[in-house]
Amino acid sequence: MNLQDVIFTLQRYWAERGCLIHQPWDAEVGAGTMHPETFLRVLGPKPWKVAYVQPSRRPADGRYGQNPNRLYKHQQFQVILKPSPADIQDVYLGSLVQLGIDPASHDVRFEEDNWASPTLGAWGIGWQVLLDGQEITQFTYFQQAGGIDLAPISAEITYGLERLTMYLQDVDDVYKLRWSNDTLYGEVRQEEEYQLSRYSFELADVELHRTLFEKYMAEGWRTLKVPGDRSVLAAYDWALKGSHAFNVLDARGAISVSQRAGMILAINKLACAIAAAYVAPPAEAESPEAARG
Amino acid sequence: MAEFLLEIGCEEIPASWLAGSATQLAERFTEIATREVLSPTNVRVAWTPRRLVIAVDVVARQADQEADVWGPSLKVAKDAAGNWTGAAQGFAKKNGVAPEALQTGVKDPKAPQELNLLFVKKTPGRATLEVLPAVIAATLRALAFPKRMNWDAWLDDGKGGFSFGRPIRWIVALLEGAVVPFTIFTAEVGAQGAPLVVSGDATYGHRFLPRGKAGGPLKVRSFDDLQAKLAAAFVLLDPNARVARIREGLPEWRDLVEYPTVVTGDIPPGFQSLPREVLETVLVHHQKYLPVVVSGQVARFAAVTNTDGSAAAEMVRGMQAVVVARLRDGRFFYEEDRKRTLASRVDDLEGVTFHQKLGTYRQKADRMVRLVEAMGAAKLLGPTDLAAARDAALLAKVDLTTLMVREFTELQGVMGGIYLRAEGASPIVAAAVSAHYEPVSIEEGSAPAGAIASEALAAFSAVSLADKLDTLAGYFSLGQAPTGSSDPYGLRRAAQGAIRVVLDFWPASGPRPSLRALAAAATAGYPAAVGDLNAFLTERLRYVLVSRGFPADEVDAVLGAREPDALDDPREALVRVRALHAVRSEARADFEALATAFKRARNILGNAPATAVDPALFAEAPERALHATVTGLADTSGGYEARLRALAGLRAPVAQFFDDVHVMAEDPKLKANRLALLSQTLSLFYRIADISKLGGQS
Repeated sequence: MNLQDVIFTLQRYWAERGCLIHQPWDAEVGAGTMHPETFLRVLGPKPWKVAYVQPSRRPADGRYGQNPNRLYKHQQFQVILKPSPADIQDVYLGSLVQLGIDPASHDVRFEEDNWASPTLGAWGIGWQVLLDGQEITQFTYFQQAGGIDLAPISAEITYGLERLTMYLQDVDDVYKLRWSNDTLYGEVRQEEEYQLSRYSFELADVELHRTLFEKYMAEGWRTLKVPGDRSVLAAYDWALKGSHAFNVLDARGAISVSQRAGMILAINKLACAIAAAYVAPPAEAESPEAARG
Repeated sequence: MAEFLLEIGCEEIPASWLAGSATQLAERFTEIATREVLSPTNVRVAWTPRRLVIAVDVVARQADQEADVWGPSLKVAKDAAGNWTGAAQGFAKKNGVAPEALQTGVKDPKAPQELNLLFVKKTPGRATLEVLPAVIAATLRALAFPKRMNWDAWLDDGKGGFSFGRPIRWIVALLEGAVVPFTIFTAEVGAQGAPLVVSGDATYGHRFLPRGKAGGPLKVRSFDDLQAKLAAAFVLLDPNARVARIREGLPEWRDLVEYPTVVTGDIPPGFQSLPREVLETVLVHHQKYLPVVVSGQVARFAAVTNTDGSAAAEMVRGMQAVVVARLRDGRFFYEEDRKRTLASRVDDLEGVTFHQKLGTYRQKADRMVRLVEAMGAAKLLGPTDLAAARDAALLAKVDLTTLMVREFTELQGVMGGIYLRAEGASPIVAAAVSAHYEPVSIEEGSAPAGAIASEALAAFSAVSLADKLDTLAGYFSLGQAPTGSSDPYGLRRAAQGAIRVVLDFWPASGPRPSLRALAAAATAGYPAAVGDLNAFLTERLRYVLVSRGFPADEVDAVLGAREPDALDDPREALVRVRALHAVRSEARADFEALATAFKRARNILGNAPATAVDPALFAEAPERALHATVTGLADTSGGYEARLRALAGLRAPVAQFFDDVHVMAEDPKLKANRLALLSQTLSLFYRIADISKLGGQS
């Protein structure tokens, strides 16, 4: 099955189970969780079901297109089910069957692996799903996002698309994956991997990124505090931009241990303030969470 | 008796929790059912990743309960004419009976002549079936997990929201085959919602087996029936049955699967030359596979799968791909790292922070070298050992700069040793670097016992001690001593490791290190010490000794000894406590009497300065007798056990002395002399144990 067929199959499977099929967020993020359709929608009481592909940038994981297993940018297929249905594990396993994996013929495990994101003030309880020893999915019951205890609890299912498809195609080099019938993953992305790795390890202007980080944070706070509210979604984009600037600096080796903790805390504070404003705005206004359909 | 069966069906519970959770289930259920007078016996537990099961025999009905309710004294209950007073009538009314129906009895056994009104309250026992729902709720609430999760669940036990280790998906609750009603509800906006899980008589088998027929509910009647039905549905409920199917001694593998089948795969020859530790880390820690050694090489791996094994070839193909990808990383790291020697990388440690305020690992390495040199200056190390230990201290942390350790952090230390050996460095230095994070656990005989060649023991001990004491001194200088359950820097473990080095590893042949002196040397490397490192080390020494099975009072007694005191020579403390433990168990009564007498002596003496005893001033026979015995025991040449046995003989003369001699005599000279005699008696023990710390019956 091609990479794009995997995406089509998962989109159809989850759409049939009531998920809205969204699109990738159009800002640099490190994981599908940072997409506002996850981070903000899991807050508050309203039910929500969504699925989307999210290209995820992790500058420090870049390997110049040379490592067959590691990527600067990989693609996640993200599913959020709020509240989580009682048969969620079976529904998830059903998606593997759709991909042609017969669970009775493979070793499928749910092994403890709890997820946490200090920058987002978020954590959850869950498993990594192993298919014959290969981690193909992260399965998380969110407990907190933006420092807020969640109720109801959302289930987050994150498929690593490259890993999963490598498994299905039985290739041991990501660049040899068939993206479509006539195009390999390497033809689409290998040069991009090289250039983006080189940029974040060698070329990125450290002082510029430090300045950008400070300015992104300041703009996030300024936007969040605009009188009259209705600026939470706009403010959140600046938190994401700050997070990416931080990741670039980190990959560039430009952050000391103490700076690192301080920068994570800065993003965390902004993300938590945004989450708080999202669920509980000033008294006179309707909360953004309630105002959204 | 009736059998109560409870199966809590869950999504996969972490393997490392399961056995403990099952033990808790047995303990908590027994406590709660006992409190509810259900007389639980014959408790059996079993588990798989997807279920916790308990079967217990209980009474079918609670026993009737009687409780005494005391009313006013009879003097107040009747007036002069013998009529019931208001107080008596009120008490009777409160208990719903006429005053005539009340009994009388003795409320206070110390005043047997006084009678009070007494109402014997009878509570009829309820049917166990009615009591059990609340017992189930209380038991589920009482289970503790390393991490609890909110899963939108609610119990109608008055406490509301219900968190658990993982979501519960079914419950089998049967009393002698009849369903015990129990419901878990959904939590909806902080209130009780619709039923989520309702107890029944249906369990569930393996997720995927038998092929094509998996997943449906299976009705069960009893614990035996549950085991049989599950076995037919590819779930071995009994953990021992799973171990038997895998192999003895693999509990973690056991608790990752419900139906274990072992498959094996090959490690391509190109990777077999990787260091064994690297191969094992990849296989065991990261993939949970077992390395299989064929003629001295790790050539294959075995995996425990949760399948019936019929598609083994396809699974192994996938597993091999993962293993090869991991090993390819490992080989790349190994080859890259080998391009530079560790010695040439020492200055790279400037880029690795130990702690923001305690500097880099480069600085830590220098401090460790200085501590090792202090050991040399104190003649604790001979010239050869000193040279090796100095090199090892400088190189110990260098592997933190290697790609391998950055990827597989659990190989720190070990990797340094591997690279040093591959470079042809001194095997003693390599061994010391390799093991210097050890010892980690406190049991006698645990790692690295037996793993270090005797000629490398001194260098290992010196580097391990220097590392741990520097860490302790550093964090204490920042005021970061552990508090309560908070010990983010693992300082308790560091202190225990340092203590174990001295107790178990420092070569017995030469002089032994003083922890007090070395801690002082470590502290001198920092601007200011905050908190009492010596007190902390003493407390940890106490913990280690108590953990080795010595009663706490014996350990305290030995920690109170002097010349040398315990921190100056922890191994001597171990020798002393062994002797005290042996002799005291022979002569328990003697030591108990002596402990009481010595407490008294200590109280009398207070902080009075010791003076010399003058035999000419003795006025009474018991004084002379005690003095004669004490003088006869002054010889300290024998072993501790022999000396303690002799000292047990002090019991009679000491008792006689306290019975017949008035220590606080009017005559100041007599009094001073008697105090001096007591002080001399106490001092006999102080070089072994402070005997006054011993308790009574233990």
